[in-house]
Amino acid sequence: MRILLIEDEKKLSELIARALRAERYAVDVAHEGHAAWQMVETYEYDLLILDLMLPGLDGAEILRRTRRRNPHVPILILTALDATDEKVRNFEAGADDYLTKPFAFAELLVRVKALMRRGPVSRASVVRVADLEIDRLTQQVRRAGRKIELTAKEYALLEYLATNPGRVFSRTMIIEHVWDQSFEGLTNIVDVYVRHLRTKVDDPFAAKLIRTVRGAGYYLGEGAEP
Amino acid sequence: MNTRSLSFRLIAWYAGLLTLVFLLLGAVMFAAVADDLQSSLRNDQIRRAQQISDTLLRGVSHSVEPVLAQSVETLYAPEANDRFIRITRGDGTVLFQSGEPHDRHFVPDVPPLGQLPVSRSWREVRLSGGGSLVIGTVIHRSANGTRYAVEVGSSTAPIDAALGRLLAVLGTGLPLAVAMAVIGGFLLVRRSLVPMERIARKAEVITQHNLSERLPVERTGDELERLSLSLNHMISRLEEAVQGSKRLVADASHELRTPLTVMRGELESMAADPQVTAATRELLASLLEEVDRLAAVVDGLLALSRLDTGEASAQWVKFDLAELVATTADQMSLLAEDKRISVICDAPQRVLVDGNRAKLKQVVVNLLDNAIKYTPNGGSVRLKVAAQNGQAVLEVADTGMGIPPEALPHVFERFFRVERSRSREQGGAGLGLSIVKSICAAHGAAVELQSTTDQGSRFRIRFPSAAELEQPQLPQGAA
Repeated sequence: MRILLIEDEKKLSELIARALRAERYAVDVAHEGHAAWQMVETYEYDLLILDLMLPGLDGAEILRRTRRRNPHVPILILTALDATDEKVRNFEAGADDYLTKPFAFAELLVRVKALMRRGPVSRASVVRVADLEIDRLTQQVRRAGRKIELTAKEYALLEYLATNPGRVFSRTMIIEHVWDQSFEGLTNIVDVYVRHLRTKVDDPFAAKLIRTVRGAGYYLGEGAEP
Repeated sequence: MNTRSLSFRLIAWYAGLLTLVFLLLGAVMFAAVADDLQSSLRNDQIRRAQQISDTLLRGVSHSVEPVLAQSVETLYAPEANDRFIRITRGDGTVLFQSGEPHDRHFVPDVPPLGQLPVSRSWREVRLSGGGSLVIGTVIHRSANGTRYAVEVGSSTAPIDAALGRLLAVLGTGLPLAVAMAVIGGFLLVRRSLVPMERIARKAEVITQHNLSERLPVERTGDELERLSLSLNHMISRLEEAVQGSKRLVADASHELRTPLTVMRGELESMAADPQVTAATRELLASLLEEVDRLAAVVDGLLALSRLDTGEASAQWVKFDLAELVATTADQMSLLAEDKRISVICDAPQRVLVDGNRAKLKQVVVNLLDNAIKYTPNGGSVRLKVAAQNGQAVLEVADTGMGIPPEALPHVFERFFRVERSRSREQGGAGLGLSIVKSICAAHGAAVELQSTTDQGSRFRIRFPSAAELEQPQLPQGAA
């Protein structure tokens, strides 16, 4: 799996490349628009990660040209602009996903993974983490065979954490997925819902599945805590 | 008709002035004609009297007096010429007096002269039978010293009739002329104001979202061309300013957020290193929290800048504010429950408002979050949506600690924090209420705040013109 990372900020591109390589992706890095476009023309990539503000050719132009050449390669946009109309414009220009700086690396990895296996891989309707079972079709949750009643928001939160067991989700990520943009900056709402979710999912059982990583966020996991 | 419109006022002024000018002109003309006619009538009488005195009375004596009367009768035929002629001796006795004219339009019952005037003169005599006579008098002194007064008079009726006709002509012609001038003026003004109407209509649809559009400029070389040109220049300057601030927001976003991403990435990867000690991990976590806070501040500031460039004025839809408030309260209910705060949502009726739904939801979220944050455990928060006097009113009231009076004017300022218990530990970037105010301003709504220390605060937002009221829905109970 080969990824082209187009990001002019050297430090950031190094960080992202390092994180992606740790996940065993092959990563090429371009720091400038024209060089990036040459690489897109020369090699077949499985994914493009594209910063919109670039010297030389700008990101939006690379997005357009790439889409004309290859309509299928997934493109993940990195941008500092978070206005809704900006997002809409980029999706219309052919972006597959959109990440606003500053993002958590965990989130970048989750999205990269999702984009790479998009298509043939079907998502299982039942997710299992240890003895926890989440049925996505009926929206029912069982633990050790016992049914757990959750409110709609609690269920959405748990299901989101369960999309990538072991992966840390930041509060901002959780807000964006489980609530909506109007709640941005209201991170304490996540803490409150996680606490309520814990009383139902974890408290009656010995093994605690919902874990906190201070300063980073929450994840769903089994085994010994790190 | 709009009585304050430019065309109405122009025409009203124009018609008023025109009427005034016509009235003055008519009056002057009438006076001049009347004076001219009357003075010529007078001069006529005196001239004739002089004629009689010159031709007939020369060398008169008592012996020829009857012959004199005879010759006046034949030479001047006063009755046939509708004239009054009288010759009076110095002692007041009448030598000759003409009779009633043939057409009988006056009765010559002119009072006797009595004392003879010293020289020629004229006078107007009202007749008992109606009408009046203008009488010119000339004094004749004969060779033997006898004085005679020759009076010649003529009716003013023909002059009065002529003046009456003139008055009638003026009286009907003047209003007619004014009316025609007003109609003509109205058509002219309307025609010249049509392009103005077009400019106004176009200017009304230009907002900060289509500033690249321009007003139509007609190359007429008149004031309206200049007006549309200068308006277009103003729109250009506005466009530049908006573009400039949009660019600034974009640049600032990039310059602030990229380093934050790097910091966060580095810290995360350090924290993920299994060899890091617990103490260092704590430190890294604390740094990550600060990065989050900084990111939140940057988000808030940029959100405010985007609001300044008119973000909330776009994508307006008509929606039910009551429903929005009820669902938002529901989504946040756990926050309140956590502090055993009861949230009462009093929004029984559909209240339609026009606006940017996502931004107005943010208003509700920010106000409700604030209310819950600053209300102690066991308190209550009351949300109310109602239509009052054609306005949609949103109220968020809490039983919290309230805001001290000296802080009230400042709570909507950026980064303002009420001191004491409102420490930064309670989160937020100090921008929430500024954002609320900006969004409301973009919707033409004012935010009112009432607060009593230790009793609670109440925010009230009035949105202009709620569109309609409908049947009550199921009341939303305590959330």
